[in-house]
Amino acid sequence: MRKMFLPVLLILVLLSLVLSACASSATPAPADTQAPAEGGAPAADEKVTLRVLVHQNPPMVEFMEAFNQKFQEKYPNVTVDMSVVNANDLSTVTQTRLTANDVDVVDVFGFANAARPYMKNVDPPNWQTLIEAGYLLDLSDQPFLANYYPASIEDAGTYDGKVYQINGGTVSYSGIYYNKDLFAQNNVDVPTTWSELVAACETFAAADIPCMTAGGKDGWPIFVGAYGLIGSIYPDQAALVEGLWNGSIKWNDAKSMEMWDKMKVYAQDMMEAGASGIAGDAAPGRFASGAVAMFSGGTWYAAAIEEAEPAFEWGYIPFPGSDNADENKYLFGKYDQGWAIATKSPNTETALLYLSEFSDPASYQEWVNAVGFFPTQPGATLDTQIGMEVAPYLENFKVGYEQYWVAPKGAGQYANPYASYYKPFGEFDDPQELADKVQADLQSGLDANQ
Amino acid sequence: MRTGYHFGSGWGRYIPYLFLIPGLLLYLLIALGPSVATSVFSFTDATGIRGAPINWIGLENYREFLFLGRASQDNYAALGRTLVFCFFVTTIQFGLGLLVAVLVNQRLRGTSIFRTLFFLPVILGAVIQGLIWSLFLYPLGGPMARILEFFGTSSQFFGGPPPEAFASVIFVQIWANMGFTMVIFLAGLQTIPDDLYEAARIDGASSWQVFSNVTWPLLTPSVNTNILLNIIGSLQAWQLFLVLIGYRNGTQVLGYLIYAQGFGQTSGSVTSSFRQGYAAAASIVLFLLVLVLGITTQNILRRREERILG
Repeated sequence: MRKMFLPVLLILVLLSLVLSACASSATPAPADTQAPAEGGAPAADEKVTLRVLVHQNPPMVEFMEAFNQKFQEKYPNVTVDMSVVNANDLSTVTQTRLTANDVDVVDVFGFANAARPYMKNVDPPNWQTLIEAGYLLDLSDQPFLANYYPASIEDAGTYDGKVYQINGGTVSYSGIYYNKDLFAQNNVDVPTTWSELVAACETFAAADIPCMTAGGKDGWPIFVGAYGLIGSIYPDQAALVEGLWNGSIKWNDAKSMEMWDKMKVYAQDMMEAGASGIAGDAAPGRFASGAVAMFSGGTWYAAAIEEAEPAFEWGYIPFPGSDNADENKYLFGKYDQGWAIATKSPNTETALLYLSEFSDPASYQEWVNAVGFFPTQPGATLDTQIGMEVAPYLENFKVGYEQYWVAPKGAGQYANPYASYYKPFGEFDDPQELADKVQADLQSGLDANQ
Repeated sequence: MRTGYHFGSGWGRYIPYLFLIPGLLLYLLIALGPSVATSVFSFTDATGIRGAPINWIGLENYREFLFLGRASQDNYAALGRTLVFCFFVTTIQFGLGLLVAVLVNQRLRGTSIFRTLFFLPVILGAVIQGLIWSLFLYPLGGPMARILEFFGTSSQFFGGPPPEAFASVIFVQIWANMGFTMVIFLAGLQTIPDDLYEAARIDGASSWQVFSNVTWPLLTPSVNTNILLNIIGSLQAWQLFLVLIGYRNGTQVLGYLIYAQGFGQTSGSVTSSFRQGYAAAASIVLFLLVLVLGITTQNILRRREERILG
């Protein structure tokens, strides 16, 4: 037996070395990812199947299906094979299919969460690793980039001086939808301050109407729904993140305690009982059913609300987190979905053509109308209801906390300003106890990296 | 006495090993290989993205997992939760599986239907199991919510506070796998000769005495198999956590933590990084836990089996 041990051990060690060597071999150089400058149409007799990956967002998927149909009619030799995955699975599926060379065009969320100079010992976001490994095509010389705002190309598609993504638009996640009929029937004015919002919910509660809903089953809609509350207290969220990193802002200081106190009211008094069981995709339908007075959610839900109940009357306001109405005029959000091309795609020209057609102003306008994103092309306008609702606030649009924040290694799992930490979604009931926990979890990560 | 050796002497003695090579290679490549590779990756900063640089970082992943900041305390909490999950799933699933097996082993009409019904959840995948219970336990008017409402109470089930959500997953895990435990017990029960039961009854043994002195001792091999499978299965469980509650603070078990770290699911953000080197280190910790618990349990059960069956 002992004689067998050494050969077996030797085999195992050799095997592990071979496997790890295989895994680290041949890093494709990003320099080779430059796309041809002109994405001409593929030869008409050449059959091409263009593999497209997109995340689940019903209006977006519906638009893409129609867009694909038109694209196929215009280029009959091309068949678009579009796969739809849940947003939570997008990064995993993207990585798997890119490494397996099984996709041509991929859906990438805006290039957020890059490590800032003041952040020490953090992991790069996934998109950065994909670019560095040479998986995304350099689009820098593509003519269709000129259709977009330079700022959107710079902020949401550029890394290390090269462009890898065109961004489909920005969204706000810091607003509240409200049911116009219920507000009118109960003589409630649209709230512009925190006190008015609290009073509105009390009125609805007295009438046995749930005040607010959100897709609590997916977790994130609860805390994302309260991002506007954070924004009314910390309007400059880039400065907030830097302050948290350098210690000038604490999650348990007096200013932050105001946020936690209000979040408790939001999670426990405003949110309807049972919201934790509603899936993110189902929440717009729940609101559109007319059963709830308000729905804290992003602008991307507007199309789903309209689709669920076209005659339903609704409005959209920034989350009134402050008692000073002037501080409630900000909308916070992010660059949402965009398109990138796989470097190793055998159908690069068709993929470039696909993005070129998508970027065509007429086509892009239809896209904006369908998905309700704030346009990243200067010629496009958001003419839908959500567009009109947010128009007064667009000049106050800011990129939010979630896009800047990267946690230090070693930070505890509560190192975030999430309303979902409160019961019934989480374990906490006392704002001070929660604030101390959140700050301690963050501080341990900051201290660990000293 | 010297036994004969069919392959003679000289080089001929190595012929059997030649035949073993294909199977051995297959085992090394498919079963053992990835496990060994995982242990190697645990010393690197691998992201899992082919082509991305991989650096050898020694014990850094283990240091981070076990000692770095409050994140390490969260890992210990997940470890503790894994053991709690294992304890409740193993004991309840074992007890229920045994009870149901004894019941459906009776010579009554319709027992085969019940056997099928109890085993049915086993063949459903985690996604289907999750979907069924998400609908049944939907807090806004789902069937269970209505039943609780009738009794003047309510629950958020999977979306509720972490202990409530965690308990709900334990319940579904038991429901999903109890049929497998039952089948193993059923197989054991059917190997017990009827003569022994008849003899016990002629001697005037009560039902409990028959069970404790005939059935239970002779079920020892099934008992051992079930305990081991339940412990190992529950220590490795994570799919139902993913499907039913997602990555929520206060509910993660080690298996889910590994998945979430490896595939960028920790923050709920779609831009999280993939930390497969770190996840590999966590996998090794889980492996050691399973190994220690598995070997200890196996030793205890083997001694018990020797004591009972000789």
